[in-house]
Amino acid sequence: MAKLTRRQLTQSVLASAAIAPWRAFADAPTGQASTVPSGTLTDSGITDSEIVLGVSTAFKGPSRGLGIELYRGAVSYFSHVNDQGGVHGRRIVLKLRNDGYQPVPAVENSVKLIVDDKVFALFGYVGTPTVTRVLPVLKKFQDRDFLLFFPFTGAQPQRQPPYDEFAFNLRASYKQETAGLVDNFIAIGRERIAVFYQADAYGRSGWAGVRAALKEYDKKLVGEATYRRGEQYTAVMRAQVERLKKVNPDAVICIGAYAACAAFARDAVDGGLEIPIANLSFVGSENLLKKLTDEFGTESERYSRWLVNSQVVPSYEDLTMASISEYADLMQRYDPSPPPEFEEHDYVPFAKSFTSLEGFLNAKLMTEILKRAGPSPSRALLEDAVFSIQNHDLGIGEMVHFSPERRQGLDQVYYTIVEDNRFVGLTDWKAKFAV
Amino acid sequence: MKITRLFQRTMFGIFFLFLLIGVSTSVVSIYSVDLHLTSEYEENSRDIAKTIADASVDIILNRDLSSLQSLIDQFVEIQGISYIYIVNDSDEYLAHTFVPGIPEEILESERRVGETVTRNLAGMGDFVEVSSYILAGHVGSVHIGMDVSHVALAIQQAIGNQIYLIAIIFFVGIFASIWFVNFAAKPINSLLDYAVTLAKQEAEEEPESSSKRILTRNDEVGHLARLFQYFSTVTDPDKLEDNPKAAENE
Repeated sequence: MAKLTRRQLTQSVLASAAIAPWRAFADAPTGQASTVPSGTLTDSGITDSEIVLGVSTAFKGPSRGLGIELYRGAVSYFSHVNDQGGVHGRRIVLKLRNDGYQPVPAVENSVKLIVDDKVFALFGYVGTPTVTRVLPVLKKFQDRDFLLFFPFTGAQPQRQPPYDEFAFNLRASYKQETAGLVDNFIAIGRERIAVFYQADAYGRSGWAGVRAALKEYDKKLVGEATYRRGEQYTAVMRAQVERLKKVNPDAVICIGAYAACAAFARDAVDGGLEIPIANLSFVGSENLLKKLTDEFGTESERYSRWLVNSQVVPSYEDLTMASISEYADLMQRYDPSPPPEFEEHDYVPFAKSFTSLEGFLNAKLMTEILKRAGPSPSRALLEDAVFSIQNHDLGIGEMVHFSPERRQGLDQVYYTIVEDNRFVGLTDWKAKFAV
Repeated sequence: MKITRLFQRTMFGIFFLFLLIGVSTSVVSIYSVDLHLTSEYEENSRDIAKTIADASVDIILNRDLSSLQSLIDQFVEIQGISYIYIVNDSDEYLAHTFVPGIPEEILESERRVGETVTRNLAGMGDFVEVSSYILAGHVGSVHIGMDVSHVALAIQQAIGNQIYLIAIIFFVGIFASIWFVNFAAKPINSLLDYAVTLAKQEAEEEPESSSKRILTRNDEVGHLARLFQYFSTVTDPDKLEDNPKAAENE
């Protein structure tokens, strides 16, 4: 066994201590409820020592990289808060359930979190097909004032009636991401835009965004191809590539998860479709790039040079921003592991990623909301705490504010390309992708 | 198992009778199950199309298309339904469940809402498509495709079970028939053996004990055995013609 350095040992001890509450929950068998380690949990989801947030996300399956990284980012911040004494003396505890990015388990988990686990609020869900189906559950239990905070999806259903009143979003929407991509492609003369998308609510949300953005220019999608949710990187996407090649597009916008989108990029370039391949923030950029580099090594540049990914958080390399610097520090200090009960040992976490940064920012804003909810927080008054956030500096250069008419914190969209096997900001679209 | 020649034709008759019953009931079943299932699937699919159409109005007019997609994704999980697509009044596809994309056959086909359309989609198979207008066609239409092979599979299963049952009855029947035939043929075989024994032995010789048993039978075989015995004792053929009944009654 390799000897631990003092630094590694310190990190390990800190991480173990900080993550102890999560471990206590996560030790229960998959999908099973577990007891709260201390205090008596009432219907309010709060004890004298803890505030319990319910999480249903993809810890397993082809999209696990998204759920795990989002969780790791959130845990790094919550661990820091707990080490500082928590919020009004209460530690923030996450009750975890795995839905594998599938709608039916997501619904079942949500009901269990609300009814059995009696959590304070729902937090950090992943995916449009899952969240879209969970929203009616919140409507059903609206008399208990449950809210869903900061789901990892830019879809519209939780942003517009009738379900907008049950959720708060931090990230920009897919509508904003797709509009930005279309605007930039049109600006550099790439007007024939096609889409490759997941055949579900997420894919349709992005598809609708691209369609609406093109409509602004009096244009239509030149073609489309779909894939089934849950496809692995080993899937063959030649049929999709052939469909798109027939319509001779200038660019393809992908609305999918990393495994399928990496497979598409691979088969597209191999099939002669050498045009910009854009991906939305949900894709999980680092996981996508890792799929390509794992297979092709240094040759992966042949594929990754065509990638342009939109992001809803700034680059984690930009340490000039206060929250990015704090994120880098806390991720290094705590280096959170995936939840033990869901851990699949072939998954290697990323030191830093756009997804974990988003999880970190979600946790930071959630903590602020819990602080504003006061020493005796209640679900019924939680919404008021959110609305009290006006021009709040989250430390990423964009102010956050909420109101009954505005339930989304951020609007900024960032664009990234691959250079030296990592994602960096794209500043000159024309130089990189002009026809 | 040896089957008496006398009954071999009967056995063939039984076999063909079973075959006739099996084939005829299968044909009738295939026809009625096909008719019933196809009609039931069509009816159910029409109901689902109407349900989606009713639920779609608000979504298309007021909400995001991801909600529409989520709606049809739930319905396409129903067994037998292979695809769903929704078009608007401008014939634009608003949501669908096809992978890797909408088939050319559907893209190029004329929209016939309200009718039952049969489709052969390359690489996918044969389908029966039903549809329903959304808001009387002012918003669009919902189309649902049912996999014909699913109906065929249901028919195959139903017919398969029936043939399986008939086969079991057939084989049980055959074995039972052979047993009954052999049971019925046993006295005749004994009679034959007795007749052969009579033919071989001298008239004055005492018959064997097994032959004696057949003479005591109180049925047609016993009567015949006694007649054979009588015939064997009569040396003058003229006497036979004179009084055969008396011989039987001896």
